[in-house]
Amino acid sequence: MLFNTIDFAIFMPIIFLLYWFVFKKNIKIQNVFLVIASYFFYACWDWRFLGLIFLSSIVDYLVGMSLAKTELKSKRKALLLTSLIVNLGVLGFFKYYNFFIESFQEVFSLFGRSLESSTLHILLPVGISFYTFQTLSYTIDIYRKRIEPTNNVVSFFAFVSFFPQLVAGPIERASNLLPQFERKRQFNYAKSVDGLRLILIGLFKKMVIADNCALAVNEIFGHYPEYSGSTLFFGAFFFAFQIYGDFSGYSDIAIGSARLLGFDLMQNFNSPYLSRNLGEFWRRWHISLSTWFRDYVYIPLGGNKGSQAKWARNIFIVFLVSGLWHGANWTFIIWGFIHALFFIPLIFGNKNAKFKDIADQNKLLPSIKTVLQIGSTFLVVLLAWVFFRAENVTHALLYFKGIFSISLFSFPTVSRGLVLFLIIYMIFEWLQRDRKHLLEIDFINSRPLRIAIYYVIVFAIFYFSGDTQPFIYFQF
Amino acid sequence: MKKLLTYISLFLIPILVVWILAEVFYRTVPNNYTYKHQQISNNKDIEVLILGDSHTFYGINPEWLSLKAYNLSNVSQTIYFDQLLLEKHINNLNSLKYVVLAVEYTTLSQADNTQEDIWRKYFYASQMDLEVPLVTWYNPKKYSLVFSRKFNYTWNTYKDYKVKGTLIGCDVNGWGNTYSSTVDSVEMKRLARVVAKKHEDGSMNFSLNSERIQQMIDLCKSKNIEILLVNMPSVPEYVSLLNSEKWKKIDSVCKQLEAINTNVTRIDLLNEKQFILEDFQDADHLNAKGAKKCTLTINQYLNK
Repeated sequence: MLFNTIDFAIFMPIIFLLYWFVFKKNIKIQNVFLVIASYFFYACWDWRFLGLIFLSSIVDYLVGMSLAKTELKSKRKALLLTSLIVNLGVLGFFKYYNFFIESFQEVFSLFGRSLESSTLHILLPVGISFYTFQTLSYTIDIYRKRIEPTNNVVSFFAFVSFFPQLVAGPIERASNLLPQFERKRQFNYAKSVDGLRLILIGLFKKMVIADNCALAVNEIFGHYPEYSGSTLFFGAFFFAFQIYGDFSGYSDIAIGSARLLGFDLMQNFNSPYLSRNLGEFWRRWHISLSTWFRDYVYIPLGGNKGSQAKWARNIFIVFLVSGLWHGANWTFIIWGFIHALFFIPLIFGNKNAKFKDIADQNKLLPSIKTVLQIGSTFLVVLLAWVFFRAENVTHALLYFKGIFSISLFSFPTVSRGLVLFLIIYMIFEWLQRDRKHLLEIDFINSRPLRIAIYYVIVFAIFYFSGDTQPFIYFQF
Repeated sequence: MKKLLTYISLFLIPILVVWILAEVFYRTVPNNYTYKHQQISNNKDIEVLILGDSHTFYGINPEWLSLKAYNLSNVSQTIYFDQLLLEKHINNLNSLKYVVLAVEYTTLSQADNTQEDIWRKYFYASQMDLEVPLVTWYNPKKYSLVFSRKFNYTWNTYKDYKVKGTLIGCDVNGWGNTYSSTVDSVEMKRLARVVAKKHEDGSMNFSLNSERIQQMIDLCKSKNIEILLVNMPSVPEYVSLLNSEKWKKIDSVCKQLEAINTNVTRIDLLNEKQFILEDFQDADHLNAKGAKKCTLTINQYLNK
């Protein structure tokens, strides 16, 4: 069930009404209801993979309980290993089996040998990377004694399968989300209104920005030899907005839907294209994944402790693994490598933690320096997206060859209306940069004006939405 | 809670009004689907039934056939819907002697539920009274045609209706009678590039649709009905821009269907020299003049 379909428009109000009117009195029944609703939500894609969510949930629940009962180091390690093997094993099989087999075959063929091993026709279960990481974080945090395990199996199953964020995040930490299942939720008017606003702006980002950009992107990336360098550049530009609108739109709808049910999910995007360097970009883009890798990969590797070489190594590992997390393709690994390459100089120059403030706060217009910083960061991100979007490495390299040709200076054959619309959208993001989301408009005192804004967005969604495209991040 | 529900309800009222108006518009204004359904249900003595997509819709005019015919083809109508329509009406058409079936570049490789027909299935189900297996009972779009299309399409359809005064784009025989012009050779080449790109689906998998055609042939055979498999004319630029291997495979499938079925005659008009630039509305559609030529050619096969 996609968020941007009529099915979800029917599903969500039914869940909302039953949740608050029928099951409100008993928190246990409310949680059981959420588990059933979430399993139904997932089953609308493919009920066969419900078993994997169940497996991941039950294994980590039992491992968590067992970890709480023992202080024996070796036993605790064995339990953690069990969780890692089951979760990463399932993820590895469904997502990476064919990738590694094909890669080994290619390596062997380079040496004139052939590797007799066949690939399998494996379907990728939707959202497997997201809920696997969520359950893993639970077990690792218990192992590290940062959180206590829950003995409430229903709460835990609800935490793993919570439908708003089940298939594409935000990847929640047990320390934030699990306690919310264990205490009584109170309906909050302001929170619900904010949730509705997030759903509205999320639908706008997905259906108007992402789906319209997708049409141009599919055309340009699909027929790149026919286009000039300047058009190819704009193809990458449109993809940057397609993936941003797609994923941040999904996150907004997820957070908004959770709010309607009385839950607070973590912020996943914070105007990433207004970042002034890559360090700031990664604090604003897919925040739940970036912080996951920071806490469970980067810091265990040693983080910024030790020599600069070790530090750089850790950065490279995190970005390469992050690339691989996105998909079983060398294009994603190279995408991660590019980000690492541009991130390392920030580390050595002690600039990675710079720009934690709001850019040009209390100023209407950005300074020239800020514009240059934002522009140069966006350019790096945009060019790296070419690898992310390309079918394979050859496709990406040929696309780059096309961009960096003399025709880069020709007039692009793209929709000027779409370019103008995206620029206007970014101006609104700039104006709202010190707020949590674009539609946080409580500062507008006039209610009719606020309502008029909602209607304009509703109209734009109905009238300007592109042909429905699947959410990009579902494939991860 | 009460406050929120009240505000949401008030906010939704204008949207609900627009939705109801649009639904009423779709349900009350006749279009090609409702009109063709009405015509085929009332003309039970027809002898030739024409099926297919826009190529036959605009390209075969029953007026020029010597037998009583009806053109039940429609824009972007796939073999899937051709089969459903044939199965629905064949038992009521007691005089039926021939079924004309178009096999185009996309016909055999066409997947179900592509962007072209993802909304049309609801119109077939709702307005042509077809049992469409692709439309499940629990799909909300089955019950509201407004949901099946983007709102801007609905709005544009309404504007079109205001300008023309009708949504019906065919005559009493079901022929698409709105294509009457042509373009110069430069524009034709441009159109050929655009359409060829659109039609190239990259698939060479013909198994599903070949099976559907065979099932239609078998059904017709059981009722002593002849099938005319027609490859409709297109401008040479369009044909040459598409995959030659696929054309060869289409040709081979058509030949095979003709060879193994005694009730099948194949009429290959794809590269027929008699069709010149002035016969085409665009790269792959005949205009009224071309439709007359094409229909008269097919008529020769009926008389045989």
